[in-house]
Amino acid sequence: MDTFGSLLAGFGVALTLKNLMWGFCGVTLGTAIGVLPGVGPALTIALLLPATANLDPTGALIMFAGIYYGAMFGGSTTSILLNTPGESATIVTAMEGNLMAKRGRAGPALATAAIGSFVAGTIATLLLTLVAPIVVELALKFGPAEYFAVMVLAFTTVSAVLGASVARGLASLFIGLAIGLVGLDSQTGQARFTLGIPELLDGIDVVVVAVGLFAVGETLYIATYFNREADRLETMRGSIWMSRSDWRRSWKPWLRGTALGFPFGTIPAGGAEIPTFLSYALEKKLSKDASEFGKGAIEGVAGPEAANNASATGTLVPLLTLGLPTTATAAIILAAFQQWGLQPGPLLFETQPLLIWGLIASMYIGNVILLILNLPLVGIWVKLLEIPRPLLYAGILVFATLGAYGLRNSWFDLLLLYIVGLLGFLMRRFDMPVAPVLVGMILGPLAEQQFRRALAISQGDLSVFVAHPISATVLAITAVILFGPPIWRRLATR
Amino acid sequence: MSARAARAGELVLALGLATLGAFILIETHTIAETTSYSGVGPRLFPYLIGIGLAACGAVLAWQALTGGWRNLPVDDDHAMPDWIAFAIISAGIVLQMAIIGIAGFIIASAILFVLIARGYGSRRLMRDTLIALVLSTAVYLLFTKALGLNLPAGLIVF
Repeated sequence: MDTFGSLLAGFGVALTLKNLMWGFCGVTLGTAIGVLPGVGPALTIALLLPATANLDPTGALIMFAGIYYGAMFGGSTTSILLNTPGESATIVTAMEGNLMAKRGRAGPALATAAIGSFVAGTIATLLLTLVAPIVVELALKFGPAEYFAVMVLAFTTVSAVLGASVARGLASLFIGLAIGLVGLDSQTGQARFTLGIPELLDGIDVVVVAVGLFAVGETLYIATYFNREADRLETMRGSIWMSRSDWRRSWKPWLRGTALGFPFGTIPAGGAEIPTFLSYALEKKLSKDASEFGKGAIEGVAGPEAANNASATGTLVPLLTLGLPTTATAAIILAAFQQWGLQPGPLLFETQPLLIWGLIASMYIGNVILLILNLPLVGIWVKLLEIPRPLLYAGILVFATLGAYGLRNSWFDLLLLYIVGLLGFLMRRFDMPVAPVLVGMILGPLAEQQFRRALAISQGDLSVFVAHPISATVLAITAVILFGPPIWRRLATR
Repeated sequence: MSARAARAGELVLALGLATLGAFILIETHTIAETTSYSGVGPRLFPYLIGIGLAACGAVLAWQALTGGWRNLPVDDDHAMPDWIAFAIISAGIVLQMAIIGIAGFIIASAILFVLIARGYGSRRLMRDTLIALVLSTAVYLLFTKALGLNLPAGLIVF
């Protein structure tokens, strides 16, 4: 079936009443948790995993995707009104957007963020529709060696390219890989690192790790280091609508932000932070009056907001076509697929076309709903920001412990939750990235499986990884990414 | 926190990672090796991961000893840690773990809620307790009756 026909069939799935409802739940919940500081899409989806295990996967995945990109919309509201990024990808918006709000231009800032997110989300979904079948075509030629190679590439880019320090990124990745080792070996059934504790035979659940890192770790960190700060909520004054000049200054940054964000999401480098910073720098450079940046320039909100939305959608390309998660949220969505025994990748496009295309189609619809939720109804979401911090974090922890305990009604999972929470606290304190832990934990066992399969086919001959042209190329790119920058720096200083 | 204390923290964390790596290497020996056609059994990946962790720990320890970890953000947020808040929140989670099986989800979660709110500086015990009971009861009913999850009822039975 051609792409257009597949997409049409997908709309048939997405437009059923049940799936529309799941999509609506997803984007509404996504907006809410995007607005609330301290709750992100990875945490929310992780908490919903146990409760959705018995549902129809199509509806649940439509909801999860809605939470993912809905949070990108909602995050901008918090950044603009509170100067606290609701989402890590909205740090840039927090700078320029909050300054606009301080000058009484909160309305246009929120509007350009919402419309920009809509434009970027829709274009990025269109690009996803067009690019995914091409990648699938290529990925069908992949064997275990190629899969192992792209997984190694993803490990490298997620941990070493993003973030401030290669050593800390790799340390986080290895922590995740080590967590992934615990449990029964998938090929021989032998227990590894269970320390004789029967609860560990099933491995450490991704819900415990995600909730521990994002909810418990974050709650401990904020309470210990940011307790005294009072938030300053900017009020919405004046018109929410953008003036003619606002539109004129916004539409080009929206398109440029999309053009930056989508490819960054698509390549297995993940993360929306880099394209938002690039977009901000680009808009500042192109602006006729650069002095306005730092005082509340609308271009500095429009561009980065479009970039972070486009990149969130872009991360679905490697996730759906190759099964490669490149952000924490994508890793949790992969875990969601696995909970129904589904493995994202080229084969899923053939075995479950209605699920995949229904999911993609739902994103066109979701973006329209989000535009409505975030423009005329923005006032409702602002109310969420008035929840006092003590009650907000207390509520987060009630849900966090519920998620961990509800897995199998065992106090042991609460103990693990607290231990992972302490780890998350230390990682936040010492600026170690958290996403590589989740990507390593979920992708690690899959990488090991592919590695051992590749060697089983080649009868133990390691040259299989360099003998295949695709895997050799990917591994060469990985080596350049990992070792290129330090060598380059050494040569440059000489 | 002084710069010296921060360096010490970095060193301890780095050594902790290295120790974890060494532990994985030692523990790997207890996994029975069964090699199939591939010549690779369940030991290889644990070895690689153990080596990787030990190496990252070593590099970070060296960085801590030579001027501190590289490229840390400007550190003015960590000057005055509130360890009492940390302790109250930790106590809340540990208490929840200890009593949820006996007292049930509603009571254990309500106590957790009140303690976390206290850790975040709330002084309004009555308001917090009331919200805590309403929230944990609503959550309990939602998850057990509507979503079919199994949670301990404990002392309160509906």
